[in-house]
This record gives sequence, C-alpha cells and structure tokens, in this order.
Amino acid sequence: MYRNLTIRQKQIVWAWAFLAIPVLFYTVIRFYPTGNAILISFQDWNLLGDRTWAGLENYEKLWNDPVFWKVFQNTFVYLLLGTPISLVLSFVIAYHLDKLRFMHGFLRMLYFLPFMTSAVAMAWVWRWFYQDVPIGLFNNILASFGIPQIKFLQSTTNALPAVLAPAVWAGLGFQVIIFMAGLRAIPQSYYEAAKIDGVGWFTVLTQITIPLLRPTIVFIVVFSSIGFLRIFDHVFNMTTNNPGGPLNATKPLVLMIYDTAFNGFDMGYAAAQTVVLFTILLIVSLIQLRLLRSN
Amino acid sequence: MANLSLHQLTKSYGTTEVLHGISLDVADGEFVVLVGPSGCGKSTTLRMIAGLEETTSGIIEIGGREVNNLEPKERDIAMVFQNYAIYPHMSVKKNIAFGLRSSKLPKADKEKRIQEVAGILDMVPLLDRKPSQLSGGQRQRVAIGRAMVRDPAVFLFDEPLSNLDAQLRTQMRLEIKKLHQRVGNTIIFVTHDQVEAMTMADRIVIMKDGYIQQVGTPEEVFHKPANTFVARFIGAPSMNLLEGRVSGGAVSLGAGPEVRVPALRKSGGDVLLGVRPDDLHPGSGNPIVTGTVSLREPLGSETLIYVDTALGEITAKADGRTPPEVGATVELGAEPQNLHVFDKSSGEALT
Repeated sequence: MYRNLTIRQKQIVWAWAFLAIPVLFYTVIRFYPTGNAILISFQDWNLLGDRTWAGLENYEKLWNDPVFWKVFQNTFVYLLLGTPISLVLSFVIAYHLDKLRFMHGFLRMLYFLPFMTSAVAMAWVWRWFYQDVPIGLFNNILASFGIPQIKFLQSTTNALPAVLAPAVWAGLGFQVIIFMAGLRAIPQSYYEAAKIDGVGWFTVLTQITIPLLRPTIVFIVVFSSIGFLRIFDHVFNMTTNNPGGPLNATKPLVLMIYDTAFNGFDMGYAAAQTVVLFTILLIVSLIQLRLLRSN
Repeated sequence: MANLSLHQLTKSYGTTEVLHGISLDVADGEFVVLVGPSGCGKSTTLRMIAGLEETTSGIIEIGGREVNNLEPKERDIAMVFQNYAIYPHMSVKKNIAFGLRSSKLPKADKEKRIQEVAGILDMVPLLDRKPSQLSGGQRQRVAIGRAMVRDPAVFLFDEPLSNLDAQLRTQMRLEIKKLHQRVGNTIIFVTHDQVEAMTMADRIVIMKDGYIQQVGTPEEVFHKPANTFVARFIGAPSMNLLEGRVSGGAVSLGAGPEVRVPALRKSGGDVLLGVRPDDLHPGSGNPIVTGTVSLREPLGSETLIYVDTALGEITAKADGRTPPEVGATVELGAEPQNLHVFDKSSGEALT
C-alpha cells in the first residue's frame, strides 16, 4: 500500500511519523492541562472531593479580592521595571563588551554565569547581601561610610526592587549573549561607510546599530517580559518566612496561584488566576510583537 | 588639485609585512585601477588611502596634503564598498543623504545636491524605495550616489562589481566609466578581474604579494609586460611561455628553429619566450614550434586550439571557419614584434 503512494504522500506519512511523539507530548502535557485548567476555573474543587460547577463565581471572587489587585499591580511593576532596566543594561554591556578584546571570553563567561546558577542559591546569597549589620554585605558597606541602614526586604517600598535586582541580574547574561550575536551580525562595512561619511558615534548608534538590532530587541523584550510576568522563584526564596511579604508587597501572580492552590487547596480559584495570567501573557506578547515589528 | 600620491607605503600586521613600499602618483581626474590576485595588498592599499587601516610607514598625500594622521572624514574621499554598505532600514534618499549628514550645508542645498546626484544616476523615481526593493545594479548606484553626493576629491571603489552577475557587471563597468568622463573626479578602483582593469582604467597598477609589478596604460601592460607575472595575468587566455636559450640576438627553442627577436637586451643564457595565443597562428610565416592539436574551443569568429609540442602544451588561435582537426599536426608562427622575452630566473622582460 505504501509503495503506491506518490512521493509527496510518502513525505507526508514520514513527516507525521516523526511528528507523532511531540504531538502526543504536547497534547498530554500542554493542551489537555491547559483546557482542564480553564474548565476547573469554572468549578469548585479541593483536590480530593468532587468537582462542583461554580460558573463565574471564581472570577467574581477574584474581581472583588483586594489581594488580587495588589498582586496584579506587583506583577506589572516587575514587568515595567524589569524589562526596560534589563534591556538597557544588557545592551550597554554587550555594546562595550563587543568592542573589548582584552579578556573578552572571560568577561562574557562572568556575565553568563548567573544565568546558569540556580535561582534558589542566588536568591539566598542576595538575601544575605540584604541583611542588617553586622551580617549583610550592603548594610555593612553603608555603615562603614556612616550612612543609615536600609531595610531592604522588610520595607513594603524597598522589598519589590530588592527582589527584582537579582532577577534582572540572573537574566542579564543570556540577553548580553543574544545582543552580542545581533551586534556581530551587522556588517563591518556599515560602520566603515559611516566613518568615511564622518558621522559621530551617537548617530551611528541611533541611526545604524539600534535600527539594525530591531529583531534582536523584539526577541529580548518579548522573552524577558514573559520572564518577569512569570517571576516566582526569586520572590519565593527571598521571602520564604512570609512568601510574597511584607504585606503582599512583593507577591507576584504566580506566587498567589501557588499559594491558593497548594496552601489553600482552592483549585477552582487558583485555576481562575491562571487563566487571567495566561490572558495577560498573551495580550502583552501580542502588543509587543505588533508594536516592535511594524514595517 | 586632487591628485594622490603614495610614497614608500608599507603595512605590517604584527611582524608580518604585507605591503612593501608602495609608491604611486595619480594625477587629478585620473582613473587608476589596482589589480592583482587575492592577497596581493590592493584592498589594503585602498583602505589605507581611505584611512580605515593605519599606515605602518610611508606617506599618503591627497591634493598635496599629507593625510596620514587624518580621520577618514577629513581626507576628502568617498568609498564604495564591495557589499555596497547601504542601510537596509533607510530609503534610497536617506541612504544618499547619509553621505551629507556631517556636512555643514544648509538643508535646501543638501536637498538640491541629492536631487542632482539622483538625476545623474537616473534614480529620481527610486528615491522613496527601500534597498530591498532594488535590483543589484540599482543598489550599486545608490552606493555610488552616497559617495558622489559628498563631491570628494578622490573616489575609492573596493571591488564594487564582484557581487553582480556577468551581464550587469559589463553594464555597470560602462556606467562607471561614463560617470567618470562626466564628473571627472580622481578614481582609485580595486578589482581582481583583469578585464575590468583593462576596460576601465586610464592606468593600471598590477600588484602581487605586496609589491607593484607594473604601472602603465592598458596598452602598455598588455603589449609591454614588465615581467612574466604581468604577462600571464593580463590577457585571456594567458600568454604562452616557452623555455629557450639566447645566443646572439636569437632564441633557440629546443630542437625547433632559431627565432629572431628584435631589440633583445641579452646575448646569452636561459630565457622564457612569451607569445600570446592571439598572436600565434597555425600556418603563418615565422614558424616557432610544431605539434599536434589536442583540443579545440570554438569561440565563433575564432577557435582556440591547444597544441601538444615538445615544449609543453601551447594555446593558439586559429580561424573560426576552417580550424585544424584534433590530431592534426600544425606549425605555429608569430610576427617577431609580437614576441616577448623574459629572463628565466628573475622573470624580468628583456625586450
């Protein structure tokens, strides 16, 4: 029977044969749970008992939950601070590292190291940095200059930036590598032509380098936005005594979902939050793609 | 005044010297082509003139002014790159205007200048397009436009035609030559293609391994090659070089007849007798060598024949209508004034 197929049909048969495993994997591991989560968001379930239909009850509860709005706000603060800061930092590092020949490989490795390090280990090291005197590194430095102590993790205003810093640092290495690949891909003759035309470095940067890096920037913005919207491990590990604290000041959406599901055992409510997160990620990514990919 | 002169220019990368004292004078308005095989230093020379490579030693003068320590923008030059270096995100107009970005001209004058250049290059209807919407030849013209808009003393072209297909290359060759006749600026043009060099140049500079081999008009380098390298590099198919010995104003080639060569500057020793396939015909007077035809390449009006002789394989040209058969024995001859003699060890011309 296989012999009688045309070459094109044979190609299709083989294509599907090879695709079968990933398709199966995606169906069982991705699409089924996604659909199931959306279904559960309309139900009440405590993991052990029966599922009962709740309609929009979970979403109504979410709408009226002050903690959710605080968490919603936190999530966007992570996104709106984290993405631009890490974008600018990684570009500045990559731009200069690209021009540097001395110890280039070693420096690149140093920048990449945090990306490979476990978030848990990193969060705990930063936790130590943030402690009061005589333990914490930062406060010890401040004290030696006679500057008053800063409550990094205990203050509701400082805690979120303090948690964000190591998260930015952790992602930096990856973004630097991507930016450097983008910079390398720009033909040298573009810069030489500009040199002969006698334009300054700032014009070269804004008129040539950045426009030509657009695809790289789109990739990094989308990628790091998704990362910051899903931030969890850094927050959880740096505020373990009181996850998301103080007073929910650092709590992101994923942590709230985790809390609702595995401390509160309110699966329906947690699923509703998941659906909201899913929707936010989708919308933010689409907007960014549309904005940055124009012409 | 926009002449260019190079005095004893050298370039080293670390301890490796790649240019060994290049000296050259280019007159105002002259079209000079630097030609040679890859790695001969022609592009390095051009980039040093542009100021993109530092000079190890020697002096570069443009318009009577030493420019060794000047930035490229201060040298009054413009350059067209092999990959054109036109910015894909800018329109044709913005690309051309980029050449004027650092100039102090008022905006209206800049605009006028852009329109003028676009007019000369026949690009006015293309000004709002993006480079991706242009053909290879049009992109090339944008690159030339960006150079022209600055009205430089010297134009530098770095193998600008090598990315084009054969037909377009021939066409652009003509266009650049016409442009030069019209605008009259000094042009230094780098290429590895001897046909490009021959067709475009006022003077050709042939380079090899960081040395200048010969400087001269296309006619000079073709008819009076200074050495065996130039003789073989210029002209296609390449010149035949036959081993022989000089004795008293004549060259003897193995068992063949003695060949009289006019104005020979050597009276004895081993030499190479050079004769171009175009000058070597079967059955003409002054026979030089005999052999059997091993291969024919018909070119229409003429046929190239490859002849096996006691002196090795020789290329010659036969009539296009009645060429000798493969396997036929032919006697090849050439006019005495078309013969070249080179010293066997040094390769220098002896006629």
